[in-house]
Amino acid sequence: MIPPEILLIIINFAIGLIITISLNIEVGLLNIPQFGRLLAVIIGAIVAAAVPGRILAVMLGYPWGVEYADHMYNFKIVAGINKVLANNPLLSIGIFILTLIIAALLGGLIGYLCAYPAIRLKLAYLGITLLAFGDLVVTIAWNYEPLVGGTTGVFVIDPFIFTGPAMRFTVAAFITLIVALALYVYAELLVRSPYGRMLKAIRDSEIAAGIYGKDIVKAKKQILIIGGAMAAVAGALWALFTGSMKAVTYTRLQWTFWPWAFMMLGGVGNNSGIFIGVLIYTIVRFLIIVYKGVISTIVGVSPEWLEYILVGLLIIIIVLFRPQGLLPEKPTYSIPTRKIVSIIKRVEEEGGK
Amino acid sequence: MLDLIVKAVAYSSCIGIGAAAIALIYSATKTFNFAHASLVSWGMYVMFAGTYLLGYTPYLYIPFTILVGAALGLVIYGGVNRWLLKAKASEINLMMSTLGADLVLFGFLNIYSDYLLQTYKIPAKYFVLEVKDVVFKIGDVNIRLIGIIAPLILVTIVILLHMFLTKTKIGIAMRASIENPDLASISGVNIDLTYVLAWLIGGGLAALSGGLLSLVVTGYTAAGMTMIVSFFAGAIVGGLYSIFGSLLGGLLVGLSEFLGITLLASIVGGWIYAYRPAIPLAALAITLLLKPEGLAGFFVKVRE
Repeated sequence: MIPPEILLIIINFAIGLIITISLNIEVGLLNIPQFGRLLAVIIGAIVAAAVPGRILAVMLGYPWGVEYADHMYNFKIVAGINKVLANNPLLSIGIFILTLIIAALLGGLIGYLCAYPAIRLKLAYLGITLLAFGDLVVTIAWNYEPLVGGTTGVFVIDPFIFTGPAMRFTVAAFITLIVALALYVYAELLVRSPYGRMLKAIRDSEIAAGIYGKDIVKAKKQILIIGGAMAAVAGALWALFTGSMKAVTYTRLQWTFWPWAFMMLGGVGNNSGIFIGVLIYTIVRFLIIVYKGVISTIVGVSPEWLEYILVGLLIIIIVLFRPQGLLPEKPTYSIPTRKIVSIIKRVEEEGGK
Repeated sequence: MLDLIVKAVAYSSCIGIGAAAIALIYSATKTFNFAHASLVSWGMYVMFAGTYLLGYTPYLYIPFTILVGAALGLVIYGGVNRWLLKAKASEINLMMSTLGADLVLFGFLNIYSDYLLQTYKIPAKYFVLEVKDVVFKIGDVNIRLIGIIAPLILVTIVILLHMFLTKTKIGIAMRASIENPDLASISGVNIDLTYVLAWLIGGGLAALSGGLLSLVVTGYTAAGMTMIVSFFAGAIVGGLYSIFGSLLGGLLVGLSEFLGITLLASIVGGWIYAYRPAIPLAALAITLLLKPEGLAGFFVKVRE
């Protein structure tokens, strides 16, 4: 039995990793100032809260229209669905995978829509536009009740419930972690592929890459779609894990700026750096939460505010003294370094003959 | 209706002042100032603390909001921005550094607010300074003083800034270094000084807009963060490179937020009020997609 503290670290790490990796694909590989990460994340959470529950409600004969998101009915409907899911592992797994797929599709769509401003605007303008779009979706989700319950929020169906109350959170956390690690491997493969090297070439000099015939607009669109899909999966996983969805908890600070801080701490453009950055930050944050009482008696201020100050200082110090992050980006080779060394050796030997 | 118009005018004047502050810092240092949010909140708390601790009318503390804002702007410049500009950091890194500064300022503001609450037992979490405003009657309509003071301050700022930028030597040098830093520094302009001035004035104006806003809206530590999109929208609608354009843009966004929503509500129904935050976003999106150079593009010819 794993203690809940460890599970908390695992789930926060996994969600943070997915979002930061998705951010890094856009910022690190193509230099798109993605200040609207929240947008794709909340879309994923909305999908998890609104879609699978309604599908099951239709299947099981519950009301699925406006009533589904109404706080008078929602908890009864979700409880009924969860009762069915508890005895039906296959259905649970199916609906879980379906949710992630729908979230990824919609997140990709959001990324595609973001491409419209992204290929027309530059730096600050684009960053602010994306940030504003994220806030717009939160406003809509917060006020439009038929979607995800508005200010009261909704309960999210629980596809992990069949594992029993003792194991539920453990299983959910580890499945989230597995998804996160799979996406990490995917991102790493993407960086190492010829496509990834093309992206870096575009990032370093759009003009030069353009001269060599690389389609910059297409690359930006594709990367925004991939990044959006990954972030939406993270949002969906988070909503499924917590079992509820309330639009107002999706803040710009937590879902856009925190991942930016992780990314800058670890190293922009470097996936393994980000892995370490997210891990360090998750553990430090966890320690702050655990030793809240001790810290506040020593320092005399609420640790919540201390966290803001520390993260702020961290960002400033990184930008000032180590803009490349803890693990700077290294050139990636398409074949292992060992092979390259052996090739060099062989060429030298042949040259000697 | 008149009450609403007065409030709309006061609110949009504040947004205009704040948007001008963002544009000033951006055009001078290429730094998009995220710390604006906390500067606005700090301005609110200066007004609040002064009024509640020392008494008298809130208007007495307007100069102090400017002083505090200017001091904080100077700290951000001297502590962070100066070194990054020297190292020729990328625009994204400049933005991120001000975000870091914003979080630090936000943390300290919350500590200060906790301190006020615990030590003086004043409602420092949420406060409504509106009740301390002066109200006078015209006919049978109550008019609050802020509806007159805020636009007056706005006009004063426009006049002072215009005089500063066109009549004083340092102001002209500042304009020159905004337009072409390299050329200006060759001509002997102290670029560093113009950066300092931009942050001093920008910080002061940001806190001033916050201080005035505390008489219009409810004050709390995250108020700046909530309203920041309106400021950004104002600055971008105005053109971001033009100080007066942004001021005008802020005015427009503020007015459309108050009056536009009332107009819409009279057409489609009261439910639309909840979507008020969407108005600056819509203004932002429309401007960026249709006329990216903003309002300034209408009266300033940009040479290619």
